[in-house]
Amino acid sequence: MNSNLFNKVLENPLSKAGFVIIVSIFLLAMLAPLIAPYDPNDFDVKSILLAPSWQHWMGTDGLGRDVFSRMLYGGRVSLLVGFVAVGISTAIGIILGALAGYYRGWVDTVIMRLVDVMLSIPSFFLILAVIAFLTPSIINIMVVIGLTSWMSVTRLVRAEFLSLNDREFIMASRTLGAKDARIIFSHLLPNSLTPIIVSAVLGVAGAVLMESGLSFLGLGVQPPHASWGNILTDGKEYIQFAWWLSLFPGMAILITVLGYNLLGEGLRDALDPRSEAK
Amino acid sequence: MTTLSLLNTPSIKKTLPLIGLLLASLLLTACSNPQNEAVDYSQQFPVADGGTMVDAMIGEPTGLIFMVSGDSASSAITAKIFNSLLTYNGDLDLKGELAENWSISQDQKTITFTLKKNLKWADGKPLTSHDVLFTWQLITNEATRSPYASDFQLVKKAEAPTPLTFTVTYAQAYAPALDSWASLQILPEHLLKGQDIHTTVFARKPIGSHHYQLDDWQQGEHIKLSRNPLAVLGPAHIEHLVTRIIPDKSAQFLELMAGHIDSMGLDPIKYSRVIPARPALKKKLNLYKELGNSYTYLGFNLKRKPFDDVRVRKAINYAIDKQEIIDGVYLGLGINIASPYKPGTRWSNPTLTPYAYNPEKARSLLKEAGFSDSDGDGVLELNGKPFAFEIVTNQNKEREKSAVIIQRRLKEIGIEVRIRAIEWASFISRFINTGDFDVVILGWGLGLDPDQYNIWHSSQQAPGQFNFVGYHNPKVDELLEKGRTEMNPDRRMAIYHDFAKELLEDSPIVYLSAGYGLTAIHKRIQGVADPVPAAGVGYDSHRWYIPQRYRQNQISEH
Repeated sequence: MNSNLFNKVLENPLSKAGFVIIVSIFLLAMLAPLIAPYDPNDFDVKSILLAPSWQHWMGTDGLGRDVFSRMLYGGRVSLLVGFVAVGISTAIGIILGALAGYYRGWVDTVIMRLVDVMLSIPSFFLILAVIAFLTPSIINIMVVIGLTSWMSVTRLVRAEFLSLNDREFIMASRTLGAKDARIIFSHLLPNSLTPIIVSAVLGVAGAVLMESGLSFLGLGVQPPHASWGNILTDGKEYIQFAWWLSLFPGMAILITVLGYNLLGEGLRDALDPRSEAK
Repeated sequence: MTTLSLLNTPSIKKTLPLIGLLLASLLLTACSNPQNEAVDYSQQFPVADGGTMVDAMIGEPTGLIFMVSGDSASSAITAKIFNSLLTYNGDLDLKGELAENWSISQDQKTITFTLKKNLKWADGKPLTSHDVLFTWQLITNEATRSPYASDFQLVKKAEAPTPLTFTVTYAQAYAPALDSWASLQILPEHLLKGQDIHTTVFARKPIGSHHYQLDDWQQGEHIKLSRNPLAVLGPAHIEHLVTRIIPDKSAQFLELMAGHIDSMGLDPIKYSRVIPARPALKKKLNLYKELGNSYTYLGFNLKRKPFDDVRVRKAINYAIDKQEIIDGVYLGLGINIASPYKPGTRWSNPTLTPYAYNPEKARSLLKEAGFSDSDGDGVLELNGKPFAFEIVTNQNKEREKSAVIIQRRLKEIGIEVRIRAIEWASFISRFINTGDFDVVILGWGLGLDPDQYNIWHSSQQAPGQFNFVGYHNPKVDELLEKGRTEMNPDRRMAIYHDFAKELLEDSPIVYLSAGYGLTAIHKRIQGVADPVPAAGVGYDSHRWYIPQRYRQNQISEH
């Protein structure tokens, strides 16, 4: 089924583009130490704010550091934050959604009201408020983003469980005396997995944006380490003069988010039976 | 799969046009010029009254009574509305402002100020020595809780025997006294008597006696001042001063380029790279450079190990290449200093030289202090504990960059440094006021009097006080106490030269750089003194004028 799904995703040119973007960004980030022409934190006060050239493909920043190298290492941060944060939020979402969807009744009510409460707080401000109390660091950012963005996954999983719960094969295994855990983990969860994957892929895009936003505000990755968001902040002051400091990280964020969205949409279309008739 | 519609991610089909729009707008902004300026600003015209000058500030004043608000935004405005008894001339010598003259008694304890005749508040009421007495009573009143009260609490007795004379008597001779009277803005008794200074409407509708009076204050937008025809020093030339509140420096710079504001402070990159590279900007902006009375430093928490060891502090001082920071961060627009005074002034000890960059010496000092790299990981240890600390600073690009350079240099001698840059208010409340830090990068903006008792005296270490590095040196304490009571300028100078020497030797802080104040002023503003006098570019701004030809209708003018 999986290779079938994969082919189906690649059939669509947009989602194929998304897939290629994500894979390339992954490779660039993973191979950063091999590709980067300079140490990303190595400054050179004699070559401050140089425009892009053969020596420095994306120019240099306010301390003479090579922007291309910093972009590659910054990409690692973005991807890491995206995956870990989404991993956390998906794990929480699955657990709470499964509990709510399987046991229903008061468990469902309590969890869903919690979701409502969390959703009623604008998530960016919630994250800002939490980060303000903690030391800004990559780990804290990942955890905080994860802990504040599990709500849609919970709703998704709950809805899947509710609709699957009354299906014949679940009835059958229940009649055969299967325990709750077995029903949840062997039957319900595997059958809800595909929408969860789609939501996770789209969630990574959100987390990448969130990390960039926080680093832009100085609450994310701390100097001297690079992240696309803090390269963008450095560029903000000189946007009229040193355009390369704003353009490249801006484009990187845009392309990455676009890539995840295209891939996510492609997955959704491939999995949606109603979009079959093309 | 209907559940997928629960996802709140907008459909890509909807986002694509948006992205297109974004790209198009990026292209548009890249192609458009800020403004097509055809006016030639190189002509000089005779002095003329009228016109509007616009500048900008980052933060809004909390109020316009400086003794209680105390922020730099409010001082920028109140300095144009209120007078002091004394002021400094362009060469930083004291002269009378409200006072015609002053005399000091034989025992050096009593100062008698004689006020100028026929002084008036902007509302036409007479300004007398009773207003001065009232202001002194107000600032020394416990309920006022003014951060500037301590200088005035030393006054044992203040009197206004006649409407034109005001006398103060100190318990003992107090050398910074005259400077303190040059900083105290005199408030009107007839409007403030019996009012609660913290809640009075006067803070938003002040009446002063200086060149300008408040016209209009739109919260979050602008503060508009207009000429005070009754100004005690005579009226200024420019009719209106508008200060727009633009909380972002890059937005301010865009406004400067577009000609919507006439002056702003610049950072070194804008001053020496951005503006010179743009002929259109060079044509309409004058750039001014002045050595400020301030410096940036790396301060140790002296109450924490190992910073209580002078050898460690000296080692770090030797390991930091200050010239590299001045070149790299300030683009050469800074001076390497060895005393906490503005270079070139009498208080700055010319015989002292800064710590040179010498990593070898740094290593041997650390070795002497007991540090060694016993596990070979490149980081020094003392008693098995690696030498690692955190540099905290506020979100100031220059300070962040300095921290990055320092981090690299200290790594080379085996010290692991982490950097944390946080927003100003939480920086002050969480780290400075609690003393919970290892090392900070901060700056001191100094007054004109050499007294630095509140920064270095060991008694000034309570939370919220300025000796937050926890410096305690009996010799320095003694010199600071002596300097405050020595009225003879030459003997006083010798005391502060000794103080600076002791401070350099003890290295409680590492002087990083004394930076230049950099200002751009639109060429349509004429009469700006160049070169900038010692007192700073704006000290005689009441003499600035805008020739009729160069006046424009400002957006903020109705």
